[in-house]
Amino acid sequence: MTRPTKEKHILFLLAVAAFGWLIPGAGHLFIKEKTRSIIIFITVTLTFCTGIYIGSIGVIDSVGQTPWYVYVAQTMTSPLVITLGYYTAGGGFPVFGWPNEFGQIYTSTAGLLNLLCIINAVYLANLLSAEATGD
Amino acid sequence: MMGATIFILASFTAPENIQTNPQSMLWLLPLIAAIAVIYKTTKLQKITPLLFLKESTILFASISVFVVLTALALYTLAWFISL
Repeated sequence: MTRPTKEKHILFLLAVAAFGWLIPGAGHLFIKEKTRSIIIFITVTLTFCTGIYIGSIGVIDSVGQTPWYVYVAQTMTSPLVITLGYYTAGGGFPVFGWPNEFGQIYTSTAGLLNLLCIINAVYLANLLSAEATGD
Repeated sequence: MMGATIFILASFTAPENIQTNPQSMLWLLPLIAAIAVIYKTTKLQKITPLLFLKESTILFASISVFVVLTALALYTLAWFISL
């Protein structure tokens, strides 16, 4: 009898994580943490856009010389980054030197900050459902 | 909305011109601010404007001071080595 509840609980946590990845801050909005979600959305989006502004969309490089872990960190911001990665895969937006490094640092930091927020949203969701069930 | 977002982001097609000079290190500050804000967003039990601003500012200042101190220590070390 407890199995469906556990499955629902896991699905709930997965949904929180998925929303948090789809749109920064949406995971917190899903668990009714409106203030946190607004702050996260603005900060992560601004950080990512600053990186794109400094280095152009060329800093999202899924097939070039950029290390794979930078691309993975960038994609933690949102699946939209993967779309941008396809757009830049042809090498039509070359960027070198400091603009490239600054852009990569900003965009990958935005992704890692969003990963921290996703983990925090899942943790808060777990606490909420534990409180609701009285565990 | 998704299409509009992709369109806006895709319009950033040319990189900015950043020189290799000490002033370019100021690009570090917005990044520190973002880290401080997100960290405090996840750590504070209850978010009130005054407390949030205070905590974020303290963390921002702490990281900035530590970065400057580390840079000074490394600069001093490099100076001693190059004597």
